[in-house]
Amino acid sequence: MDNIILTQILVTPLVGALLVALLPDRRKLSAGVALTFALLTFFFTLHLPAHFNPSVSGFQFVQDIPWISTPAIHYHVGVDGLSLWLVVLTGLLAPVGVLASWKTIQTRSKVFYSLFLVQQTAMLGVFVSLDLMLYYGFWELSLVPMAILIAMYARTSGGNEGPRAALRFFLYTFIPSAPLLVAILWLYAKTGTFDFQLLQGAIYYGRFSPETLCWVSVAFLIAFAVKVPVLGLHGWLPDVFSEAPVAMAMVVAGKLGLYSLIRFHVGLFPVQAHQAAPWLVALASIGVLYGACLALVQKDFWKLLAYGTISSLSFCTLGIYGFTVTGLDGGVFQTINEGVIGAAMFVLLGVLYDRFGTSQISSYGGLAKKAPSLATLFVLISLAFMGLPLLNGFVGEFLVLSSTFGGVSKGWAAAATVGVILSAAYLLTLIQKVFYGPASDMTLANPNPDLNGREKTILWPLALVMLAMGILPNLWLTGIESQSKSVIGWSNLKPFVVPDCIHQKCYITVSSQPSGGQK
Amino acid sequence: MNVPLTTVPDILRILPEVVLTLTGVLVMLIDAAMKPATGSSNSRRSLGWVAAFGVTLALWASLFQLSLPPGTGFYNTVQTDAFSVFFHVLICGIVLVALLLSIDALPQNQHHRGEYFALMVFGAVGMCLLTSAVELLVVFIALEISSISTYILAGFRKHTGKGPEAAIKYFLLGSFATGFLLYGVAMIFGATGTTQINEIASLVPTAQSHSLVLIAFVLLMVGVLFKVSAAPFHVWTPDVYEGAPSPVVALMSTAPKAAAFALLIRLLYGSFPILKPMWLPLLWGVAVLSMTVGNLAALRQENVKRMLAYSSIAHAGYLLAAFAGLGTSGVAAASFYIAAYAAMNVGIFAVVTVVSGYDEKLPLIGDFRGLIYRAPFLGSVMLFFLISLIGIPFTGGFFAKFYSFTTAMQGGAAWLALIGLLNSGLAAAYYLKLVVSVAQPAAAGAPQAEPPKVGVAVGAALAFSAVATLVLGIAPSQVLGAARSAAQTFAPALIAQPASGTVTGKIGTSFRYQEK
Amino acid sequence: MSLYLYLIPLLPFAGFLINGFLGSRLPKALVSTVALGFPLAALAVVVRAALLAWPGSSSVALPYVENFGGSWINAGALHIDFTFALDQLTLIMLLVITGVGFLIHLYSVGYMAHEESYWRYFAYLNLFLFFMTVLVLAENYLLMFVGWEGVGLASYLLIGFYLDKKSAADAGRKAFVVNRIGDFGFLLGMFLLLSQFGSLSFAKIGDALALNPAQHGGMLTAIALCLVVGAAGKSAQIPLYIWLPDAMEGPTPVSALIHAATMVTAGVYMISRTHGIFDRSPFALAVVAIIGAATAFFAATVGLVQTDIKRVLAYSTISQLGYMFLGCGVAAYSAAVFHLMTHAFFKALLFLAAGSVIHGLGGEQDLRKMGGLRKKLPVTFWTMTAGVFAIAGFFPFAGFFSKDAILYEAFQHGTFGKSLYFVGLVTALLTSFYMFRLWYLAFFGESRADSHDFESHGAAVHSRSDSKLVLEAEEPHHVHESPWIMLAPLVILAALSVAGGWIGIERFGSFLAPVVGPVVDPTLEPGGKMLDVTLSVIAVAVAILGWFVADLFYRRKNDRPAKLAAALPGAYNLLVKKYAIDELYNATIVRPILLGSRYILGGLGEGAIIRGSAWLLAGVTTLLGEWLRRWQSGNLRSYSAWLAAGAAVLLLFAASYYLGSNGMDIHINWAGR
Repeated sequence: MDNIILTQILVTPLVGALLVALLPDRRKLSAGVALTFALLTFFFTLHLPAHFNPSVSGFQFVQDIPWISTPAIHYHVGVDGLSLWLVVLTGLLAPVGVLASWKTIQTRSKVFYSLFLVQQTAMLGVFVSLDLMLYYGFWELSLVPMAILIAMYARTSGGNEGPRAALRFFLYTFIPSAPLLVAILWLYAKTGTFDFQLLQGAIYYGRFSPETLCWVSVAFLIAFAVKVPVLGLHGWLPDVFSEAPVAMAMVVAGKLGLYSLIRFHVGLFPVQAHQAAPWLVALASIGVLYGACLALVQKDFWKLLAYGTISSLSFCTLGIYGFTVTGLDGGVFQTINEGVIGAAMFVLLGVLYDRFGTSQISSYGGLAKKAPSLATLFVLISLAFMGLPLLNGFVGEFLVLSSTFGGVSKGWAAAATVGVILSAAYLLTLIQKVFYGPASDMTLANPNPDLNGREKTILWPLALVMLAMGILPNLWLTGIESQSKSVIGWSNLKPFVVPDCIHQKCYITVSSQPSGGQK
Repeated sequence: MNVPLTTVPDILRILPEVVLTLTGVLVMLIDAAMKPATGSSNSRRSLGWVAAFGVTLALWASLFQLSLPPGTGFYNTVQTDAFSVFFHVLICGIVLVALLLSIDALPQNQHHRGEYFALMVFGAVGMCLLTSAVELLVVFIALEISSISTYILAGFRKHTGKGPEAAIKYFLLGSFATGFLLYGVAMIFGATGTTQINEIASLVPTAQSHSLVLIAFVLLMVGVLFKVSAAPFHVWTPDVYEGAPSPVVALMSTAPKAAAFALLIRLLYGSFPILKPMWLPLLWGVAVLSMTVGNLAALRQENVKRMLAYSSIAHAGYLLAAFAGLGTSGVAAASFYIAAYAAMNVGIFAVVTVVSGYDEKLPLIGDFRGLIYRAPFLGSVMLFFLISLIGIPFTGGFFAKFYSFTTAMQGGAAWLALIGLLNSGLAAAYYLKLVVSVAQPAAAGAPQAEPPKVGVAVGAALAFSAVATLVLGIAPSQVLGAARSAAQTFAPALIAQPASGTVTGKIGTSFRYQEK
Repeated sequence: MSLYLYLIPLLPFAGFLINGFLGSRLPKALVSTVALGFPLAALAVVVRAALLAWPGSSSVALPYVENFGGSWINAGALHIDFTFALDQLTLIMLLVITGVGFLIHLYSVGYMAHEESYWRYFAYLNLFLFFMTVLVLAENYLLMFVGWEGVGLASYLLIGFYLDKKSAADAGRKAFVVNRIGDFGFLLGMFLLLSQFGSLSFAKIGDALALNPAQHGGMLTAIALCLVVGAAGKSAQIPLYIWLPDAMEGPTPVSALIHAATMVTAGVYMISRTHGIFDRSPFALAVVAIIGAATAFFAATVGLVQTDIKRVLAYSTISQLGYMFLGCGVAAYSAAVFHLMTHAFFKALLFLAAGSVIHGLGGEQDLRKMGGLRKKLPVTFWTMTAGVFAIAGFFPFAGFFSKDAILYEAFQHGTFGKSLYFVGLVTALLTSFYMFRLWYLAFFGESRADSHDFESHGAAVHSRSDSKLVLEAEEPHHVHESPWIMLAPLVILAALSVAGGWIGIERFGSFLAPVVGPVVDPTLEPGGKMLDVTLSVIAVAVAILGWFVADLFYRRKNDRPAKLAAALPGAYNLLVKKYAIDELYNATIVRPILLGSRYILGGLGEGAIIRGSAWLLAGVTTLLGEWLRRWQSGNLRSYSAWLAAGAAVLLLFAASYYLGSNGMDIHINWAGR
């Protein structure tokens, strides 16, 4: 069971997608099948934390099968503390996505749900792949359904905004991945392997001169930073947020890029990552403020969420590049938070959009009286977003900020902490304009805007997850820490150089790198 | 190199060609026997099926040739080996798909449908022969056979203005290029006293005048590079593709190119391996130029066929990048690339044929808008082919590109790989325009084109190419193996050179054989 | 033996859950039972703990620590536990919070009876008790921060309780954001503590400090100042006091509980709790003292001219909190806490009484429209009187003892202290004046209200639901005394305001000594008892003076106030405008941030740089494409020209190569052939 569980997780959505594609194109049917398989996937992902052993570092549930002989590509999958919860998160968001699209996707639901499920496989694959080629495959694959679905189900349908957003998203992420592929191929040409752990070993044993590695690592860094997105490379995000269907937009930002940064940038090029860290820390804390400030002045709530997300994602980057165990724990934890909270926020705003057909904040008002449970959940989830204690956002932010303050730079940490004030400001402004005050005409026009059963079944579990993560964060942190310790330890080792091994082909024979990763 | 004498009857060496020829003749005879077509009363669909059947037979025949010991026939003019078989199978496959496509695509009242099918088959004869010919004169004949039939096919839409124009342009420029080729043949004969591809290799060092060899080589290159529509010999491509009927483009954008690449490989690795230090940079230059020019020019195209024409130029560039590889790995990569490219390109043109129709009522990118709503199956297949052309993993397009650039990278041409991949990023821009337009819901109030109907034959063609593209992306091992064994054909030619001595004196390192 | 500390927060939390989720479907009676029952139970637990831990009975030794649920956060070097601790300070806070809190719950049952979302109100109120008790029970800074932010949330929800009232929503947001600014300081303080001590536990940090008594100033000052920012935010001190006056938009009992008795005193509690750090940093202490004195005086002056009964009380609250800060600033923590307690009694009383007045007048809050209520609302009048005398500092009311203690300690604190003492004294004068002004305006003279006002106001303000608006506008509102359920708390609090101080600072201080260190013993000081008495006499004299002036001005209708206002228009307007601080902040902080974000970040950053660069890249490539497309003339001759040119280039390349390898006479070199 343990060695095929990951394959199971990867295959299930694909089977679902195939089934949806083959069955006739009826909304309820497609959605139902999709929901079934999404739930099934989620169920399988739960197997991982249940059987995960936090006491050993390194990869578990590993499966390694040769796929193509030359070039030597393996189907090599496994999870460790870093990817564990991200896999589960992806599994959780799959049914959420289906339920969120239940009513909104009216036409060609067949195409939607099959592509949606393919997207799930792609994302799960990114988290579990240990072969760079396999990883790259899933990484690229994850772009396609996103782009197509944005074009198909753009909010401003008929207009050209949707297609433009799809194009921008795809090119923004696809073009930087060209250097990434070159870098991967270069590593392969030098070592003859795509295997993550072998490459880690090769780099550790000084197979490459630092300056060449510098370029390779930069190629990796940029490709991932765009996907996060890190400040400056976020040009695609606002459009995607305001155009993409909720189920897609809720997974587009954050976890994929951040995970890749930890695993493949920090994990493969510790020295270069250390060199890049000061810049990234600075970018991150500026990003916190930049995003928050822009969120303060947005008139459209999708845009507000977009900039808020940029702000809260910057906390993750900050945690990762602080190179402290606490910070990395916080970074990963915050990544999960962002996934859960972002999804919930998207569902909530999606509800508003479905009810009233506009994302102009100013046209809302006084909704709380007519939609009490909507208001309650909105406030609760916003509080999680702005990091109120006993909710998950706080734990992540506190870990990141405290570790940065103690370990890296007091100044940048303090700057990022100001974000705590701003996030409260823009979220409360949103809440106030939408829910408080006298009811606007538009609000009055709708007889019953409150949440229906389906929406409650999406939102309450998410809210409970936030509470659980806020009150009992250790359930998550122990797993994460089991790996973050070794990542940090590994990244702080100075690689030693085997002189006769540089600048010439000598295939490495390390089966497991010094950080104790097991195969 | 000396071909071991075998007891294989010569006829078996050209079995597929024979089968094809007979099929072509048969088709024409039946066509003549049938009453002239009057409207849809007496369509020639059946002829299409006959032709398709013949091509399938030819495919089997070429597979059968694998069982023969590799060797030459007809006085060292044709050679059957893993390499030739690989391309025979590929070409037959392409022609088969093109035929199936044409069966449904051609309007019922189209005149000369019989000739149409026959010409496709005759074209196949030429292309097949081209891949197995090892005698430059035979090469020339084969080239002409394939070219002339494609010239005619290109102009098959007589009633339109563009059809004949395309035919004329293609014919004149093609003849021009063939002239270069022929001149090259003559000169190589003058320089080495032979036109036998395999013998040239060993005779080049002892050639009378080496400048003559170089000139001959260049002229041959011009002829071949024209056929593969690599920059700067690509100018004819867009106009011809736009004018020719889509099913014909599906054929001529893939099969003749495959044949021409086969010839290129035979020339480079079979006859002029010793010139590698020279032709390698040459081909790199051509590769980079083709990619860049093709992609940039494609950006602003509104007509789908023109856009795909430019994209095919770019793909020729990606393919040429593979030649940077060490030893025969480049040959394998190139061969694989041709297969993958053929699969997806035939596929996309099949879709275009169905959607915009034989007489192209809907040629523009904008006309494809909302296709996935109008015709879900067609739309999805088209998206798939486009994704493969962009080079998204788990498709043939990606793996071919990946393999080609890996080879280049191992050959030490990292910058070539970088340029190539950045180019594919650029290419994504215009492919995506089409993707988006297919996926985008039709504009409110826009007149809805009626959903195109997919016949049995076209359905088969689409399914065939789609499955091929997918398999090449997910389980390429089989084809890779075939490509490698095909490449092995040239291993001796490569090893032969340095064995006979090392370069010394004033040429210095420039000619020292690079492989290790 | 266990004190079941965790029950103290969890009981109100249970009440919150029940009312919050089911309240809308439960009958009112049940809602009130739940709302009152759980806090009462919590109070019982506290009282039990108090009895068990009282100095006399030695069954439980203080401080008593209770850990449950093990560790909360456990990441890398950071370990935070769910630990509650009970010591004398916490005990007093708990008694005040649950005791006064319960009374106010009781009062609310009457006051909020008209409200439709009655259940929501009580759910929030219980939630507040939960967080407030967590705040005082926490054994480490982070857990304290949980309560700290939590009470902020509860206050946000309660201020904005009247959903469709825009001003209320604004006030709520303002309160939360300003508090967040304070929390920013608190967070930085915690980061510093972590990097300094590697822990956030009060005990651990205390031990660490005890280990090196030499440690002074420096890092400790930084920590202390960060914490002061937090405290100033929560306790509405300069410069972060601006949220409290607006917070009066909430229902009056909320103002009594949160914005007078308990939450706003959290800052004072925090400073006394962490006095170990402050004691090591004289500078930080001085800052606290100055902030306190300044706030006390400043707020009192604004209070002089306010006409809204609740705003007068709000400013007086700020002013009294200033006294407490002053007490902390001169290291007289027990005095500060003492004042905290008595203030909780009389300020809660004042607010509730004011609420009773407002209730009686059907929502009227404007002092100018009151008057002559002494007869109409007798109980309210007498209880309020007790409160007024207490806050004005008359012997033997509670306020006297605590304020006196603070002023005395300040006086002992060198010349610096003496100057602060005089500020405090003047403030006392002002306090007594504006309180009696309120007293006179509300209860004496003849009614200045026309019944028309009542209806509209009553309808508009008191019960917000639109349906009632119509309903109440129909029948004219009659001034009436409040029901017993509102008066009972008034009476109890009045009794406490009278007798609350009799315990005396000595005994109170010696009780608190184990936590906040010994109270300075007056007998040992120069001047000793004598000085103490003198100062007390001065204080009382000042209070009487204030009363006298107020009497002169407001006992019966006269034009003295108007004259005075006319005499110094500048000063008067400045006070009426509350020194225009809100406007100042808007102009200097809020608007710059918003404009900067919109135009600099939004316009320049997003528009020009992010979008612009992408647009430029795309534009250049498409232009290149266009250019290339032009080559494609479609003209056959040009095509063949291209072909020839290409061939020429290839030949050239070959030739260059040929020359580059300076002629390749392969024949010669292939020796062996």
